[in-house]
Amino acid sequence: MAAPVKLTIDGKAVEAAPGTLVIDAAKLVGINIPSFCYYEGLTLQAACRMCLVEVEKAPKLLAACTLPVAEGMVVRTETPVVAEARKYTLEFLLTNHPLDCPVCDKGGECELQDMVFRYGAGESRYSENKLHVDEKQWSPVVFYDGPRCILCFRCVRICSEGMGVGALGIVNRGAVSEIAPNHGDHLECDECGMCIDICPVGALTSGTYRYKTRPWEMDHVGTICTHCSNGCKTTLGVRNGQIIRGNNRDRSGINGEFLCIKGRYGFDFTDHPERLQSPLMRVNGKLEAASWSVALAAVAKKFSEVRARHGSFGVIGSTHTTNEENYYLQKFARSVLGTNHIDHHRSGDVVTLLDALSGTAGSLSTTADLYERKAVLVVGADLSSQQPFLAFQIRANYRHHQARVYVVTENEVREDGIAAATVRVDKGGELAGVHSLAEKLKTESELVIVFGDSIKGEAVRELVAFGNSLGIPVKYVALVDYSNSRGALDMGLVPELLPGYQPSNQPGMTVGEMLESESLEVLWVVGANPLESAAMKAKDAFVVVQEMFLTETAQRADIVLPAASAYEKTGTVTNVTGEVQRLKTGPSTMGAKPDLEIIGLIARDMGLAAAVGPWIADKVFEEIRATVKGYSVPMAIISAGGAAHTMPVNGRIPVESRPDLIHSSRDNLFTSGTLGRYSKMLGSVMEGRQA
Amino acid sequence: MPNKIEEILETAAAIAKGMSVTFKEMMSPTVTENYPDEPPKFEERFRGVHVLQRDESGLEKCVACFLCAAACPAQCIYIEAAENTGAVRISGGERYAQAYNIDYSRCIFCGYCVEACPTDAITHGHGFEIASFNTSTLVYRKERLLAPAPPGARPPEIFTEAPSAH
Ligand code: SF4
Ligand code: SF4
Ligand code: SF4
Ligand code: SF4
Ligand code: SF4
Ligand code: FES
Repeated sequence: MAAPVKLTIDGKAVEAAPGTLVIDAAKLVGINIPSFCYYEGLTLQAACRMCLVEVEKAPKLLAACTLPVAEGMVVRTETPVVAEARKYTLEFLLTNHPLDCPVCDKGGECELQDMVFRYGAGESRYSENKLHVDEKQWSPVVFYDGPRCILCFRCVRICSEGMGVGALGIVNRGAVSEIAPNHGDHLECDECGMCIDICPVGALTSGTYRYKTRPWEMDHVGTICTHCSNGCKTTLGVRNGQIIRGNNRDRSGINGEFLCIKGRYGFDFTDHPERLQSPLMRVNGKLEAASWSVALAAVAKKFSEVRARHGSFGVIGSTHTTNEENYYLQKFARSVLGTNHIDHHRSGDVVTLLDALSGTAGSLSTTADLYERKAVLVVGADLSSQQPFLAFQIRANYRHHQARVYVVTENEVREDGIAAATVRVDKGGELAGVHSLAEKLKTESELVIVFGDSIKGEAVRELVAFGNSLGIPVKYVALVDYSNSRGALDMGLVPELLPGYQPSNQPGMTVGEMLESESLEVLWVVGANPLESAAMKAKDAFVVVQEMFLTETAQRADIVLPAASAYEKTGTVTNVTGEVQRLKTGPSTMGAKPDLEIIGLIARDMGLAAAVGPWIADKVFEEIRATVKGYSVPMAIISAGGAAHTMPVNGRIPVESRPDLIHSSRDNLFTSGTLGRYSKMLGSVMEGRQA
Repeated sequence: MPNKIEEILETAAAIAKGMSVTFKEMMSPTVTENYPDEPPKFEERFRGVHVLQRDESGLEKCVACFLCAAACPAQCIYIEAAENTGAVRISGGERYAQAYNIDYSRCIFCGYCVEACPTDAITHGHGFEIASFNTSTLVYRKERLLAPAPPGARPPEIFTEAPSAH
């Protein structure tokens, strides 16, 4: 690396790498130069003139956002001349800006408001009529109010560069420029809302949050998105026990400010009118509301009775409940109910990957690796549609570090556009496709391989062998579907494995086998919907379901217990790359209880509470950290809201991973399993309806 | 016995002085009010129970900006905002207050809310008889705070037109 450049900003000595922009160099010493069009990570625009600074020996003020540092440069950012210039820039921006602050959604967190407050261009010399253009609705998500736009083009750039969609453009020139959507009067895009959040003013507003409240009126709760496996942090704005909006403007969490439509707007299932708020019991063939104490007592009675005569229990766990709940459920099932018939919907072959990587260190990729490593190979997955944040990381890596991206898929994917090489294969031909890239991959210095559910069982071992043959450091990601699919595996929600991938050495039934079994006496389903696509053979089995909605499975239940959503409880979840993060309680739904508490209360009513321990998330997590391999993660990171990477198992896993049971449900941007059916927002966008 | 005479004269002077005050007050206008037998009189700037104003066309002036609630040191203003549509038009701006409550068990009549309001929607009226045995009756809803619509008020034409497609 070249020697750093030395310069002075506001009297402070700064050392920065050659090529650094003055606006970034100033940040190194804690000086914030105001900017509208400059945005970290996006291409330069130099459109707004807000960042003007005084540079010694330069005849005029210069734009700090496009000015590279130079040796001996002396920069001043807050002189009277600079303040004056900024004030006039603001006066210009305000010439046609409506006096909308009282009704504008951005009021209170608007960058233009803040700047005017700071530099005071409150009085305008412009007295002509302002040009008014009506507000436009481009989609159920995106609204555009032209007169408020300050033409910084952040939205255009985040959509084309960040999202790889390019749905927004600019029409006309000069003062009458406008932002325009890609289909005349409407948008057809990812509906991610990135453009809305990045807009410094209230020109782009969102369908869910519009005119509802004010930023200071909400509690801001940073929790983890409950939809896909990527584990983005989403900050929920909660008012009166109701979620009003989701975003991540504070850029906390692994995803920075990235969120897809599900993380940003898919929270609305929590107050869907069909949400269950009272336990239901089957009386004369019909489900009727019952009190918690009656319903729990009935469950406990049945469980105790079947347990006493060693009857057969089947337990199906969830892909979106917390690690604590999963651990507690399997502990209850295995040690109290004495059954090994416990399973969940498996969507990726993590087991074989961990086994194949046994004895190596640093072979499991994190989400940050996808942004930092020099090359990425995507095998058999449409990341932009199914793993939106991972795709965002790879795109950012390509833009910022010129990463080489290799794609081996059946169909065209968005990553093709940034790929160094693309191989189209037939179904099942993925491995052959990967082998055809061997020569190219050998020239790389490092690689991350991301693979979908078409690579499972032996194919995973072959892929790892291929990785080893390249002679470069390779990291892997086995893709899974839902917010805690990975945690369900880690916590042993499978018959053949205990928590931490310890073999259970005891045959148990899988989901399919439980549904096929005619002798099953009790089926206990926690946050899953297996009967959506299959029927149940055991006609007389007693079915207990913990759910948020009356799903197909809940309709067949004898007792339904209303569960709290991930946004209404605490606990930890593990994302696709094995990063553990903690949930925070936002709103609450009257009548529903967290699954952990429900399981605990069943144990209590059976008189067996001591056998499973307290149903307090923190206590259970302590036990997980102490006993589950890979989960002795630093508590400081978890409590501070960070993401801690789980350790590799590093030991052979002597079981068959059952590749026949692994299949991804391939949810796209607008679906999210059963949960997605209850989100009005996901159902309202036209892209979702077409898909 | 000059002392006795002096004493009598002094007493008479004192009585005359005292009575002069009494007679002067008897002649000057009364300031004491006969409340509650007669209605009290207020200075214009008296800060009493709030009134939410309407504009000349009868639309509510409040646009649910929450600034009064933000300014209120007693945190006694509660607002829920909603959007005006072609069919339902309540205020002159893009949005209106669907709920607007002031909790008079907490309000200290400081006037900050009035100061903060960008649309002059919230004002202090002269109402003051709000004592109650039941504090829950002290939360006044919008309906109770709103000024009556001016006689003959009609929403302006531009709002009654069918919304144009763009
Ligand atoms: S919502 Fe997302 S995809 Fe659609 S225009 Fe905005 S940034 Fe682009
Ligand atoms: S809509 Fe917002 S982000 Fe886009 S150019 Fe206008 S002000 Fe900038
Ligand atoms: S990418 Fe996944 S985790 Fe992130 S916001 Fe979207 S659905 Fe949620
Ligand atoms: S008068 Fe003062 S205390 Fe009362 S509502 Fe207004 S701001 Fe709040
Ligand atoms: S009364 Fe005034 S300050 Fe309060 S919300 Fe309405 S418009 Fe805003
Ligand atoms: S931030 Fe430099 S010109 Fe806009």
